[in-house]
Amino acid sequence: MSSLLTVENVTVQFGGLVAVDKVSLTIAEGEIRGLIGPNGAGKTTLFNAISGLAPTRSGRMIFAGADVTALGAPDRAARGIRRTFQTVQLVQSMTVFENLLLGLHSRADNPLAALFVGHAVNARGATDPMATITRVLDYLDLAPRVDHLVSTLSIAEQRYVEIGQALVASPRLLMLDEPTAGLSPAQVARLDDLIARLPADWNVSIVLVEHVIPLVVKLCHRITVLDRGRVIAEGTGEQIENDPAVQEAYLGERLNA
Amino acid sequence: MEIATLLSVGLSNGCLYGLVGLGLVLVYSSQGIPNFAHGELFMAGAFLAYTAIVLLGLPYFLSFLIAVVGIGLMGMLLEWLAIRPISLHRSLGRASSEVAIVLATVGLAIVLKGLARIPWGDSVRNLPTAFTTQTVTIGGVAIATQRLLIVAVTLVLTVAISVFFARAPLGKKMRATAQNPTGAKLIGIHTSNIYSATWALAAACGAIAGVLAAPLIFLHPDMGTRMLLKGFAAACLGGFGSVTGVLLGGVLMGVVEIFAGRYIATSMMDIFAPIIIILVLLFWPQGLFGARRAARV
Amino acid sequence: MRTLLQNNLVWLFFAGTVALSFTTDAYSQYLMNLVLVYVVIGQGLNLILGFAGMFAFAHGAFMGIGAYVSALLTAKLGVSLLVAMPAAGVAAAIVGALIGFPALRVSGLYLAMVTLGFSEIVQWGIKHWKSVTGGPDGVSVPAPVLFGHRFYGDYPTFYIVVVVALAMTLLAQAIIRSKLGRAFVAIRDSEIAAQCSGIKVARTKVLAFAISAFYAGIGGSLFSLTQSYITPENFGFYQTTLHFCIVIVGGAASLAGPIIGSIILTWLPEVLRNAQALQEIGYGLMLILFVIFAPRGIAGFLIDKGILPRERFSLRRPSLPGRSRPAPQEG
Repeated sequence: MSSLLTVENVTVQFGGLVAVDKVSLTIAEGEIRGLIGPNGAGKTTLFNAISGLAPTRSGRMIFAGADVTALGAPDRAARGIRRTFQTVQLVQSMTVFENLLLGLHSRADNPLAALFVGHAVNARGATDPMATITRVLDYLDLAPRVDHLVSTLSIAEQRYVEIGQALVASPRLLMLDEPTAGLSPAQVARLDDLIARLPADWNVSIVLVEHVIPLVVKLCHRITVLDRGRVIAEGTGEQIENDPAVQEAYLGERLNA
Repeated sequence: MEIATLLSVGLSNGCLYGLVGLGLVLVYSSQGIPNFAHGELFMAGAFLAYTAIVLLGLPYFLSFLIAVVGIGLMGMLLEWLAIRPISLHRSLGRASSEVAIVLATVGLAIVLKGLARIPWGDSVRNLPTAFTTQTVTIGGVAIATQRLLIVAVTLVLTVAISVFFARAPLGKKMRATAQNPTGAKLIGIHTSNIYSATWALAAACGAIAGVLAAPLIFLHPDMGTRMLLKGFAAACLGGFGSVTGVLLGGVLMGVVEIFAGRYIATSMMDIFAPIIIILVLLFWPQGLFGARRAARV
Repeated sequence: MRTLLQNNLVWLFFAGTVALSFTTDAYSQYLMNLVLVYVVIGQGLNLILGFAGMFAFAHGAFMGIGAYVSALLTAKLGVSLLVAMPAAGVAAAIVGALIGFPALRVSGLYLAMVTLGFSEIVQWGIKHWKSVTGGPDGVSVPAPVLFGHRFYGDYPTFYIVVVVALAMTLLAQAIIRSKLGRAFVAIRDSEIAAQCSGIKVARTKVLAFAISAFYAGIGGSLFSLTQSYITPENFGFYQTTLHFCIVIVGGAASLAGPIIGSIILTWLPEVLRNAQALQEIGYGLMLILFVIFAPRGIAGFLIDKGILPRERFSLRRPSLPGRSRPAPQEG
C-alpha cells in the first residue's frame, strides 16, 4: 500500500496551549486508521489540522503527493480530504438530496458560472454528479429519504447523510469524528459494517476517532494513540492494547476523572 | 487659548460619548449583543429631565435623579419585554437568535423614537438650566460650568462603577455571569436578575449622559442614532472591555473630533464616529485597552 | 391543481398586479409600484440576511447609491435608463463588495455596526457632495424614455417596475436553487462545515454582499422612478429598518416572504395615516413581535400550514425508483 497522507512534525498551538505537539503519521491508501486517546488528547484538533481548519505552527502535510500545508479547508476538500463532525453539521432546513448536493460544491469552481447552470458542471469529464448521488443514496439506504428534510431524520440517519455528503465528492481520505456517538448498539453495529466496507467500495482511506476501544480494535488496520498532543503509540490493535504507555494514559485519565 | 477651549469642549463631549459607550459595553459584555436602542435611552433620559424641569418645574438635580432612575427602570422593562423572550428561545440556534435579539433592539429603537415624536416631534427644544450660561475661568480659559459638571460626574461614575465591579456582591455576580452564564447559574446566581440589573445600569448610564448633555444640545427625538454611533466608536476605541478603557476611548474620540471639526471641516464631525468604528474594528480590533475582541468580557 | 396553484403563488402575485393595474386610481397605482420596488430590495436583503445569515445594515445606503446613480445619469448626462439602471445596480454592488470585505474580518454583531457606520458615511457623502448630488435639496428624476416612449406618471412607470421586479425575483429563485444559494445557506448554518464541503467562505460572503447590494441598487433606481425627486433623507437608517421589517415580517429565507412583507409594510403607513410617529411605533412593534413569536415570518407560518411550498435549493430532483442496495463497484 502506498502512502496517501503524510503528516510530518505538525504542531498546533492556541495561545500558550500546545494542542498537537510535533505529530507525525502516515495513512496508507485503503487503510482504516484508528485515532484514540483520552479526553483532551488533541484528536479533534489533529482532525482540524488535517482538514485545514486549525492553522499549524510548524510541520507539513503531504496529501496524494502534493504539499497541502498552505492550503485552506475548501482547497483540501476539493483535493479529496473530507470529514464528518462530532455533532452533525448538516443544513437542517434542506432535504437529504440538497445536503448531498452541498458535498459536490467543489466540482465546478466558479460560483457565478454555476449560477446559470444550476448544477456543478463537470469539466473533467468524470461521472455525472446525479449518478454519483444516486449511487450514494442507494449505498447508504437513504433513497427512501431523499426528499425528507434532514431535521425530520433520526441521528443515525443524519450521520449517514453526513457520510454521504462526503462520499458524493469521491474523496480520497474520509475522516470520521466519533461517528457512533449517540447511536444504539444495533445502529453502531450497522455503522461498523458500513465503515469496514467503505475503503474497498469507494477507494477511500478512513481515519476514525472513537471512544469505544474494542470497536476501533476490531475495525482498524492500525491505531494511533494520542496523549496530551503527542503520539504515544502506534500499531495494530493487539500491540496497542498491550502497550504500557497506552495503559498508563488511560489509567491516568480514569484516576483523574 | 482657542486650543484650550476646544480641548475643554472635546474633553466634556468625550466624557458623554464614554458614558454612552459604557452602557453599550455593559450589555454587550453580559449578553453579547449590541443594543441598538441605547441611543434612544440617551434621548429618553434627556427628555425625561426636560419634562421634569420645564414642564413640572422641578429643580435640576432632582430632575436628574428622576431621569436616571426612570430610564434605568425602563431599561430593565425593555429587557424583560423584548429581549428575554428571545433569549429563552435560544433553541432556535445561536446565529438566528443573535439576529433576532439585535433586530429586537432595532425595533425598540424605532418604537422609542416614535413614542418620543408624539409629544416632542414638532420642534427642536433646548433645556435651560442655571448652569448653561455660567462659565468658570481656569487659567484664563472660560469653560461652561455644565462642561465641568460633565467631567466631574463622569470621573465619579467611573470610579464608582469600577469599585462596584471589583467589590460589590452584585458587581461580582455580574462579572461572573458575563464570563460564564452556565457556570454562574450552577453556583446559584439568578442570571435573569443579573441581566435586568445590567440593563438597568446600562440604561442609567445612557440617561446620565442624556441629562448632562441636554443643556448643551438641541433636543429632538432623532438625536439618539448619532449618539449611538459615537458611543459605539468610544467603545471600539476602548477595546470593548474595561470601564476606564471606554471612557478614555470616548475622550479621545471627543477631542480628535472637535479638532478635526475646527481645522478640517465642520461637517466632518458628523462622520467621524462611523469612520472610527470602521477603521478600529477592521485594523485595530483590540482598541486601546482591549484584550481579544472576539471574547466576551 | 391545488399544488400547481401553490407552487406558483409567487408568480401569481405579479399577474395579479398587472390585472389590478387596470382598476386602480393613480394613488393606489403609486402604492403598488412602491410594493414592487420593495419586493426587489426585499429579495436582495433576504438573500444576505435570510439565506446567508449575515447582518448588513446598509441597504438604505445601497438603495441611495442606486437611486442617485440612476437619477444623475439620466438627468445630467441624458443616459438611457436601459444603461442607467444596470449601472445603478453595478455601482451599488461594487460598494456592497467593498463593505463585504469587513464581513471576512468581523463577525455578525460587529458587522452590524460596521455596515451601519458605512451607510452613515454614504448618506453624509450624498448630502455634502453638493456639486453632483444637489446636497440636501436632492435631485429631480426625469421620466425615462424607452423605445421612443416617455414613461411619465404612475401607470407607465408600473410597466417598468413590474417587469424588473419579476425578473429580479426570478433571478433570486435561480440563485437559491443554484450551488451559490446552497453555499449561502451552508455558511449561515455552519461556516466550518461549509469549508469542509469545499465552499470558499470569504469569496461567497463578498459575493453575497455584492448581489444583495445589486438588488438594492436596482431597487433604488426603480424607487427614483416612482418619485419626482429624491433627497438624502430618503436613504437613512429609517429606510434600512423598513427593509428589515419587510423581510422579517414577510418571512426570511423564503421567496414569498419579501413579497408578503412589501405588501403589508407599504399599505400599513396608509392605515397609520402617514404619521411618522405611528409608523415608527407600528414598524418597531411588528419587528419585535415577529422576532419573538414568529421568527420565520408570515411565509414561515404559511409554509408550516402547507399553504406555501417549502423553499427548494435545487433545480432538478433525482428520479429514484425504489431500488434496494445493489453491490457498488469501484469508486
